[in-house]
Parts: sequence; C-alpha cells; structure tokens
Amino acid sequence: MITNWLKGLLCGCAMMAFTAAQSLADETCQSPYMPKITGQEEYVYVWTLGKEGVGDEQDKLVTVDVRPDSPTRGQVVDSLSVGGRNEAHHGGFSADRRYFWAGGLDTNRIFIFDIHSDPGKPKLHKTIETFVKDSGGVVGPHTFYGLPGRMMITGLSNDKDHGGRTALVEYTDEGAYVATHWMPTDDDPRGAKIDSPVADGYGYDVRALIRKNVMLTSSFTGWSNYMMDFGKMLQDEAAMKRFGQTMVQWDLHTRQPKKVMHVPGAPLEIRFAWGPNNNYAFSTAALTSKLWLIHEGEDGEWHAKDVADIGDPSKVPLPVDISISADDTRLWINTFMDGKTRLFDISDPHNPTQIYEKTIASQVNMVSQSWDGKRLYYTSSLLANWDKKGADDEQYLKAYTWDGNELTLDFEIDFYEEGLGRAHIMRFGSAAVSSS
Amino acid sequence: MTATTTLGRVLRGCAASLATVVGLAALPSPNTAWSAESVAELTPTAQLSALFPRSEAFDFDPPAPGSYALPPLKIAPDGAVLDHRARDLRLANILDGRISLVSFIYLLCSDEQGCPLALSTLFDIHQMSAYAPGLREDVQLVTLSFDPERDTPEAIDSFAYPIQMDREADKKLDWHVLTTRDLTTLQPILDGFGQAVDRSGNDDTIQHLLRLFLVDRQGRIRNIYGLGMIDPRLLMTDVETLLIEERTQ
Repeated sequence: MITNWLKGLLCGCAMMAFTAAQSLADETCQSPYMPKITGQEEYVYVWTLGKEGVGDEQDKLVTVDVRPDSPTRGQVVDSLSVGGRNEAHHGGFSADRRYFWAGGLDTNRIFIFDIHSDPGKPKLHKTIETFVKDSGGVVGPHTFYGLPGRMMITGLSNDKDHGGRTALVEYTDEGAYVATHWMPTDDDPRGAKIDSPVADGYGYDVRALIRKNVMLTSSFTGWSNYMMDFGKMLQDEAAMKRFGQTMVQWDLHTRQPKKVMHVPGAPLEIRFAWGPNNNYAFSTAALTSKLWLIHEGEDGEWHAKDVADIGDPSKVPLPVDISISADDTRLWINTFMDGKTRLFDISDPHNPTQIYEKTIASQVNMVSQSWDGKRLYYTSSLLANWDKKGADDEQYLKAYTWDGNELTLDFEIDFYEEGLGRAHIMRFGSAAVSSS
Repeated sequence: MTATTTLGRVLRGCAASLATVVGLAALPSPNTAWSAESVAELTPTAQLSALFPRSEAFDFDPPAPGSYALPPLKIAPDGAVLDHRARDLRLANILDGRISLVSFIYLLCSDEQGCPLALSTLFDIHQMSAYAPGLREDVQLVTLSFDPERDTPEAIDSFAYPIQMDREADKKLDWHVLTTRDLTTLQPILDGFGQAVDRSGNDDTIQHLLRLFLVDRQGRIRNIYGLGMIDPRLLMTDVETLLIEERTQ
C-alpha cells in the first residue's frame, strides 16, 4: 500500500540508480537470509580437523583461492590454526556474511572468524568457550544457521548422558547467548504433535522456509557415538540403537516445535527447495540409505515420506552431504563408504531418480556447488574416528566442473601432503559479498 | 493490499485483545463508523496482525501474540541525531518510553528489496495505526538515514512532510524521520545495531542488508527482521507480545 507520494518520492529521489546486483557467489545450501547472487566464488574456506603427525596437528580454517585469473588459483593461500583439536566439524556464515562461525564437536568451542576485513586472509575474531554452560547442558555445536542479527546453532548431545537428546541454541551476532530450545520428546513434547513411534529429542541440521514460517531439524547421534571408533561402534548393539529417528517441524518465528515426524535411520542434511511455490525439503537417512521428502500436503500439514533408495541400502553406502540445484531439478548426494557422488533428478520431488554417479575417492563427505551448478567442490572427512584407515584415508579438496553430463576434475589439494589435516565443511567467500 | 481489503479485515476481526492491550473499548475507523453489529463480530482472538492480510510472500497464519518469548538481544545504541527540522536529539531519548520499530534507510535507494520495502511496510503500519489510535501511546516508528551527506535535514523534511501534515496524524503512530550530521556520528550507531553497510561501490549507491529492529521501552533490541521477515503481521504480533509481556509482569 505504498502511496503515490511515497512512490513518487522514492522514484524521484532515485536519480542515481542503484546498480545492478554485484556478481557474487554462493552455494545453494545457505541460509535464505544471507546475501547470495549468482557468480564466481573467489575463495573456498575449509574447516579442517587437525591430525596427529600432520603439520601443526591443530584444527584450522584453510583458505583456497579459486579466482579464475589468480596466479594462486587452486592453491592454499592461508591456513589459520586455532590451537589444539576440537573435532572440527561444521560451520556457517552470519546472516550478513561478514563472519564465519565454526564449531568443535568434542570441546564445544565455537570459533568466530572475521572474513570480511580480508576475505583472502581470515582472522580469528572471537572464541566462545562457554557453550555448554550458556545453553544449560547442550553439547556438540553442529550446524550454524545465520538469522538476522543472530546465529542458530544445533546441538548433537548433552552433558548429562552424552546421548542424543539436545537442543537448538541461539547467540547474537556478537556472540552473546540468547536462548535454548530443547527438542521435543515423548516426555516433554513442548506442545508438538507427535506423529512418530518415538520422539527422541535428537538433533543435527536446521533449515528454514521463511515464506511458510517453517523450520525443520533432523537427528543424528550423541557424543558417546560420534566420538567412538566407527568399527567399534558398528559392533556395539546398544550404541547402534542410539541414532535419531525423527525430524521436527518448528514455528520459525516463535521457535516452538509443531510436529515430530518419523524419519528412521539418522536423517542428516536438510535442503529446502528454492522455487516460490515449492513447499518441500529433502533429507537423507544415513543408516537406511533413503532419500526423504518433507513436504506440505494438500491438508496444509507437513509430512515426511521416503521417495528413493540411495545406492544399494543393503550395502550401507552411508549417504552424507547433499546439495540441491538452484532450480530445484537436481540433487547431489554423496555416499561416504563407496566414495561416490550421485546425481538425482528431483524435478518430480515425489519420484526422484538417479541419473549419474562418479567415484570421487575412497571416501567422500561434503559437496558444495556454485549457484549456477557448474562448479562442485568435494571434501573427505566425516569424523576423526569414523574416517577410513590407512591408504583409504584420503583427505582432500577436489574441484570439478559440471557440464550437465559429466564431472571433470579441475584441481585437487591433498590435505595430508599439504600438512593440513582432515578436510570437512566448505563455504564460499567473495570480497564483494563480505565487504563492509 | 488495498484499503478496501484492509478495512474488510478490520471489520472482520480487529482486535479485542488489542482493545484490551491498548486500552480501547472499540476501534473507530477513520473512514467508517463502527456499528454495534460490527463490534459484536469482533472475536476474542483477533489481533493487531489481523489489520493486515495473509499474502503469498508470508503464506502462514501468524502466531498468537503473547504465546512466545522475545528474549532481549542487546541494548540499542545511543547517538546524536538530527530530525527534519535540524534539531539536535539523542537517539536514546527518542527510543525511551515507547516500543519502537527502527529501520535504517536512505532516500536514494531504489532497490525494491531494500529501503522501499522497509518504508512501504512502515507506511502500511502507520496507515493502519489510525484504526487503533490508542496504540500511539505505546508504539512509534523510527527511520534513520545511513546517508547523512545526501539525506540532510532538508532532504528528510521533504520525506517527512506528508507524515507531519497528515490530517489524521493525531490518531497514527509518531514517525521520527532522522538523520545524522556525518558518517563519524552515524557509524557507532550502525555498529551498535549491527547494520552492515558497504560504501565501497560507486558513490551513488550504498550496499546494505535490509534490517528492521524492534526496540522495547527500555531500549533493548527484542527482534531483528531481515528480507523475508518484513511481514507487518509479524511485526505487529511482536509488538503486541511485548505489550502483553508488560501487562503480565
């Protein structure tokens, strides 16, 4: 209802037009609150686990130059160690994309890097040492999801039993604690409808569809499992029962849980579609190797259903990271055990089909793609105690181009040869998007 | 949104809870007299947000005011500001005592998803506040330019003129249209709110993220809205949540 006088004033005053959006870069999995415009990424930040006997053995933020005309393209141009090992895992930008927050699943330390002052040379701006105390017992800061003025962090565990019960935790952009939102359980549903045989209260990822005021969380496992040796855990019957079986729909604005949905097998990453009428998201269940669709039904309620197998579930390929294309027609799915990346046609979200696959290495975890889908980046590490052993423990960043039919290797960096460590989550940087 | 649809919304459901919160028995329309029948149709669950329609951009029913918490995020910064008459004022004094919706804008901004969106939303709220004249005792609008060199007091006066001259101004929310003397004065305010601004481009444009801030009577920032959240229903639901919080404490 902008009136004529206001329109006239705004248009009339705009004698010097606002320039077209800068050519910026982004992967397709970022918070929708964040500035993101198609274009060429300039840097890839890799949150890297330190490893005994490799380099300085510390966790570090590794910066890789991917500027097309740069003489150091495809090379590590900065490595910022944080002191010690923390089980470095995931990280995310603040909503203004000026800071990169990264967590340690074991020590619960949160590192906030300034990436706007010099995107090619991040600085450690602040370290939060009090996450467990602040949050009232949440352990394992995992996903960092930027909201305006604040950071939403998912936990993986708790300090009482180190199992999977956990919460969402909010901090301000300045790093001050705001609130804790515990996951709904059978004992304490917190007002949520329980549409699942169990409401386990576990957590993992968080994503939002602002237009529908919907936030979704998924569920993994607690500290006692993710810090255990992978082979040992597989033999531990009790441990194997301690994996998430749920996804939760939340009211994004109020942070109140609305519905617990049954998604067995540890649903991990969540990716909402981008289309203005596409009211759905995908997730993959690690243990059952199923692709799940979480969608708004004709009844207006949100539902979860498995829509495809990923590889041969009987061989437990262990789907890990996923990446949706900006046009909602393609979904890349990595499977850790066989080191493959698989491309699914998700044009019909209820009937996805695999249309391509390629072996990236002996193991693969994360995948990030440019907004136009033409460049994909892969990294290797899952968890320090879950990565493969010996020669199969390849640690890398690999960059590929995608022409619609074939992935072609562009460059690769061996993270062990470079003395860096285990390469985990990637985020793209650009001076244009991060300057202030 | 047309005035007709808005009025229809008001007639269907303008807030009994609002009437309670802002101390009104009934909400007279500036254009349409309330009938006994229309007042009787008011539902006990009607809210401030009912003044605005659901839209494709905000395709959900807003939460019930008072059903959730808005934890304080930080103290809104103080700073020296100028109004449209070039009077020297302190921002903290302006924010003190009323709930404020604060946004940073600049008048030359033509990015539809930037300042014009914030301004049009604030204008909608300003217009609709005429239907709840008691609300102006508790709530106000504040816009502060982040372009002091071009948004001089004289320039913002042209913007403020229709607001000041509105014949129903005494029924609507106060709208403080502000600027600063210079960037040196402005920058601590921007930093305090956490409003990122990029002046590295050409001289004509100021790259910025759209942000709108909800500040309570004590000067604490209680919510921060970005693109996709500038839904007048959510803004007014949050305002009403703060009013309910005050009433129950």
